[in-house]
Amino acid sequence: MNLDPLLAETLGERPPLPPPPEEAESRPGLAGRAWRALYEVADPELPLSIADLGLVREVTVNEHTGLAFLQLTFTATACPCMDFIEWDIRKRLLQEDGIEQIEIEVVWDPPWTASCISERGREILGGFGVAA
Amino acid sequence: MTRFRSPSDLPPGDRTRLGHLLLALADNKRLLGIRYSDWILGAPSVEAGIACSAMSQDEWGHGRIVYSMLKDFDHDPRQLEFLREADGYLNSEVVDSEAPTWPDLIALNLLWDTALSVQFDVLAEGSYEPLHHKSRKLLQEERYHFDHAVGWSERLMTGSGGEAALAGACGAIWNSCIRWFGESDDPLISPLADLGLVPRPRVTRARWLARVGPVAGLLGLAVESGEVESDEEGQWVGAPELHWEGWSASRRRRQDGGPDEDSLARVRGDRNRVLVADA
Repeated sequence: MNLDPLLAETLGERPPLPPPPEEAESRPGLAGRAWRALYEVADPELPLSIADLGLVREVTVNEHTGLAFLQLTFTATACPCMDFIEWDIRKRLLQEDGIEQIEIEVVWDPPWTASCISERGREILGGFGVAA
Repeated sequence: MTRFRSPSDLPPGDRTRLGHLLLALADNKRLLGIRYSDWILGAPSVEAGIACSAMSQDEWGHGRIVYSMLKDFDHDPRQLEFLREADGYLNSEVVDSEAPTWPDLIALNLLWDTALSVQFDVLAEGSYEPLHHKSRKLLQEERYHFDHAVGWSERLMTGSGGEAALAGACGAIWNSCIRWFGESDDPLISPLADLGLVPRPRVTRARWLARVGPVAGLLGLAVESGEVESDEEGQWVGAPELHWEGWSASRRRRQDGGPDEDSLARVRGDRNRVLVADA
């Protein structure tokens, strides 16, 4: 069941996320495509992608089996959006040709701090009046 | 010192013991989260209620991290989470039921939450490496809990009647907190200390006293109790005579009892678990 149209109608459209930055464009192979796709996965609470927020620590893809492996962290150990973020990642990555399965490992070291947000992520937040 | 990178690197008996300690920590985290949540509504101010909400979430998050580690220690996560009765929990008696007053909650915040943080602190410095990685975020978040406890202790000590109420509240749980680190020959901790996984009980207890002793001292609690004292250099140290009546080293608590009925139902999610498809 896809409730996205209902959410968009009720909550309004989210501001569009910027395209992946140059350094992501240069990543090779299926892992590179997976990285770029993660710039399209929005944090549920902030107008940023999870990649710009600094939640993605590692992405590898086995091109033979189609298994994508991600190391992911969260802003807090009790982040209420953990499940939503993982669901959104799976949904987006499985749209990529060649990716058949997703394995996500949650890591906590080094701990997430605001310094993990990308430079352009800070600028986006600044545009919404949020200093990071 | 030998470093252990996974549970399978540990001798079998010690793997079981470390898993048991982690289960006690996870149970305490989950129950403490419930105790904070009891005061989200009814705290002295809206801000204090919001702080309880945040600390409650943190404790549940910490519990989740530790429970998730236990599958590597031959525990069944589903059994741990949903199928235990009260006497199977390893939480301290101090979080069995709701803190009856705000000073009682601040006493838990100051003494018990700090005891758990100190235990994670020493595990993070010990020879079991996965805990180094898992503990850093947890300890980062716990700094604010200690700030909250000290700030509210100061506030209560300056208010009318607050000092006596806080001293009474701290006194009521003091012995449970100070003995939680175990006796000198504790059958759970001593073998783990031999492997460098944790320090000896007196060392961990001294670290806890160094944090909470100054506040307890201001309350007149530590000195009057005769259980702790400040040495010539002002360090808070444990005196040898602690009260061990009823203590169970295996349950890491008073032998009898467990979470009360309401707490148990909330911990296990009894009321609504049937609604979760994958539970």
